[in-house]
Amino acid sequence: MDLQTLILSLERYWAEQGCVLQQPFDVEVGAGTMHPETFLRVLGPEPYRVAYVQPSRRPADARYGENPFRLGKHLQLQVILKPSPDDVQELYLRSLHAIGIDPAVHDIRFEEDNWESPTLGAWGVGWQVLLDGMEITQFTYFQQAGGIDLAPISAELTYGLERIAMFIQRKDSIYDIEWGGGVRYGEVRLKEEWEASVYGFEVADVAMLQRQLEDWEREAVRCLEHEPPLVLPALEATLKTSHLFNLLDARGAISVTERVGMIGRIRRNALRVARAYVEQREAEGYPLGNPLADEGGA
Amino acid sequence: MELLLEVLTEEIPAAALPGVRRQLEEGFRKGFAAAALEPESVRALSTARRLVVRVAGVPARQEDRTEVLTGPPARVAFAPDGTPTKAAEGFARKAGVPVEALERVATEKGEYVAATVHVAGRPTPEIFRGIVESVVPSLRFPKMMRWGLGRYLFGRPVHGVVALADGDVVPVELFGIAAGRSTVGHRVESPGEVTIPHASEYEVVMEAVGVEVDPAARRTVFEERAAELAAQVGCRVHPDPALIAEHVELVECPGIVLGAIEERFLELPPEVVVTTLRHHQKCLILEHADGSLAPHFLAVIDRRHDPEGLIRQGNEWVIRARLADAAFFFAEDRKRPLADLVPELERVEFHRTLGSMAEKAARGAELAVALAEASGLDLDPAELRRVAPLVKADLVTNMVGEFPELQGVMGGHYLRLEGEPEAVWTAARDHYRPVGFEGPVPASDLGRALAAGDRLDTLAGLFAVGEIPTGSKDPFGLRRAAQALVKIVVESGWTVDLGTLVRRAVEGVVPKSGGEVEPTAGALESFLADRVRRYLVDVTGVSGDTADAVLASGWTVLPLVVARAEALEAVRERPEFRSLALAFKRVRNITADQPDGAIDPGLFDDPAERDLHAAWEAFHARLAELEPAGRYGEAFDAMGGIAQVLDRFFVEVLVMADDPAVRANRVALLKALGRDFLRLADLSKLQVEGG
Repeated sequence: MDLQTLILSLERYWAEQGCVLQQPFDVEVGAGTMHPETFLRVLGPEPYRVAYVQPSRRPADARYGENPFRLGKHLQLQVILKPSPDDVQELYLRSLHAIGIDPAVHDIRFEEDNWESPTLGAWGVGWQVLLDGMEITQFTYFQQAGGIDLAPISAELTYGLERIAMFIQRKDSIYDIEWGGGVRYGEVRLKEEWEASVYGFEVADVAMLQRQLEDWEREAVRCLEHEPPLVLPALEATLKTSHLFNLLDARGAISVTERVGMIGRIRRNALRVARAYVEQREAEGYPLGNPLADEGGA
Repeated sequence: MELLLEVLTEEIPAAALPGVRRQLEEGFRKGFAAAALEPESVRALSTARRLVVRVAGVPARQEDRTEVLTGPPARVAFAPDGTPTKAAEGFARKAGVPVEALERVATEKGEYVAATVHVAGRPTPEIFRGIVESVVPSLRFPKMMRWGLGRYLFGRPVHGVVALADGDVVPVELFGIAAGRSTVGHRVESPGEVTIPHASEYEVVMEAVGVEVDPAARRTVFEERAAELAAQVGCRVHPDPALIAEHVELVECPGIVLGAIEERFLELPPEVVVTTLRHHQKCLILEHADGSLAPHFLAVIDRRHDPEGLIRQGNEWVIRARLADAAFFFAEDRKRPLADLVPELERVEFHRTLGSMAEKAARGAELAVALAEASGLDLDPAELRRVAPLVKADLVTNMVGEFPELQGVMGGHYLRLEGEPEAVWTAARDHYRPVGFEGPVPASDLGRALAAGDRLDTLAGLFAVGEIPTGSKDPFGLRRAAQALVKIVVESGWTVDLGTLVRRAVEGVVPKSGGEVEPTAGALESFLADRVRRYLVDVTGVSGDTADAVLASGWTVLPLVVARAEALEAVRERPEFRSLALAFKRVRNITADQPDGAIDPGLFDDPAERDLHAAWEAFHARLAELEPAGRYGEAFDAMGGIAQVLDRFFVEVLVMADDPAVRANRVALLKALGRDFLRLADLSKLQVEGG
């Protein structure tokens, strides 16, 4: 199964399970969790189901396209099920059927792997799912996001698409994966990986990035202090600071003493965004419903 | 009667399960004991996704029992004419008996009324239900979670409950789920519902649907199957009980597949292969008879067989990919000598306040230089300053970035391959060792000096920024660091004064941390002294009070402390040391608040004090000869020789004589003796009978 069929199959499957099919977020992010369709939607009581592919940038992981297993930008397929349904594991296992993996002839394990993002003030418990010893999915029950305890709880499924494709296709290099239409992954992305590595490690203008980081940080605060707060613009600005931080880090421009302080600054804004979103939804009367209130009223 | 509880969940973390089983067993035992029921057995079992309690040989109900309840005094309960009063009626009502059934009983306090009541025993299933509903929701997991609407808190989401008393469902409710008799089989071996007809049939029914509920049985399957597969390829399994124990908790249906490793990967350092296989893939390692790695691995699976060979193929692919990744890192790292990476240590944080690894290595080097000088080691200061950062340089290699647990090990391999002298590459490999008291100290003086300097700097730095361990909180592992330092110094036989080194170390970090040297140095000294005591007890093997006694005489020159402790431990049971321990206490009490003075032999008039003076003079002279040579056994022998004289002195001589000159002279003698004893040990710390 080629990469695009993999994506299409998973998206079709999750759409059939009632997910909104969303598009990748058009701001650089390090993980699909930062997409507002996860970071914001898991907050508050409103039920939601969503699936989307998110290209995730981690400049420090780039390897000039030389390492057959590492990428500076990889594809995640992210699913959020809120509240987490009782049959979430079965739903997940059936999604493997959808991409041609029959659990009946494989070994599937759910091994404890908890997740935490200090920058987002978020953590959850869950597993990495292993298929014949290969980690194919991160499975997390979100407990907290933006520093806020969550109820209902969302289940987050993150499929590492390149890994799964490599495994299914038994390729020894990411760049040999069949993308679709007779084109290989390397033919689509190899040059981009090399360029991103050169830029991130050697060329990026540190002073400019630092200026931008400060600017976007202030912009996030301005959006938050606007009346009413502009939640999404504030999140976008905060995510930009997060990406600029990652770029500076890859460039070796963040001293050991600055690091913790900068993570704290990004986190502070992420927490404020989360609070502003919760207030906004509450003020709007939870347009997507409130299962906790329904329950209380019954 | 037999009882069964099964709680079906999602996969529970392996590390949590042994503790949860203990809590279950304890909770159920206590519950039955409180209900005066004594089952023949209470067993907590589990798989990755079920918690099970099996109770066998329990009576179907509590026994009926008769209780005599005592009521008000008879004179209050009955009127003088014998008719019952309101008090009697009230008591009878409360006891549930007719007033006529009340009896009179004689007690120490007089005559009282009493009622004999028959209490019917409750049915066991009812008691079982109560225990289940109180024990299960209060189980503690290392990490608790919520799910769904977030109403419940448990280790993992709960999906089903089976509760049976023999063949009947016990109407238990847990987490909003009513118990029944149906559960599910193994996910792939036998998916779908399965009904448990009778509590006693649970294990058999579950086995038929691919679930082995007994962790001990799963362990046996793993061990036997692993040995069998290893034998097939002429290898043996590298013993790994901890990994097997983890796998036992990770599955419902234990199985193993054998896979092959390409020979080319065995050219990598063996630690790299082992780390990849064991830590990242949780595979069992196979080795040849000589202990070298075999080109095979065992992957544990949660099912009996590998029906189409896909599981073996998949695991081989993953391991090939992981080893190829490691080989890539190894080749990348080898492109530059490790020394080229040293400048990059400036970018690796040791601690926010204490600066980079480069700064830390430089401080550690200076301490190693000081230590080498003080201990007379044949180490070139310039070489120490070169090697100290070099042994840390593997922190910025690709391999250690990927496998942090290989720090030191990789530096050792890279430096060896670069042709560095053995003392240098082994120093890189070994300088993180020992961990606490565990494991050997580095082999060379160079390795030991660097390891000790590194630990000293860590301790001084973190103490200076206030990260002092308290109670169970020791996030930086400072107790282990201090224990490692103690072990290295003792086993190297370095007679360096650790107190002086501690001060130097703190002086080295205060430019970074700010603050004064003294309070930090003082805190670190007492922390280290405490670790030395731990070493004396745990490693040297002396009793706690022996350690206290010798530490009171100074803790800073460790080989001497250990030698004194061993010597004292060897003699302390002798009768003369028992009496010395008591006598020494008296010496200290008497002389405690007395001014110092010179001894005037002319003032002695009692033979006993003359003898003591002579004995002290002889001891004093002997000590001057023995102590510098570290001949503590003989020194303690000499001390023991004074016991009798000292005892006689206390019997025959009144220290607090009326004549102030005589009194001062006797005090001066005892003080001199006390001072000399204290050079070896404070015997008053010894716990002896009568003391």
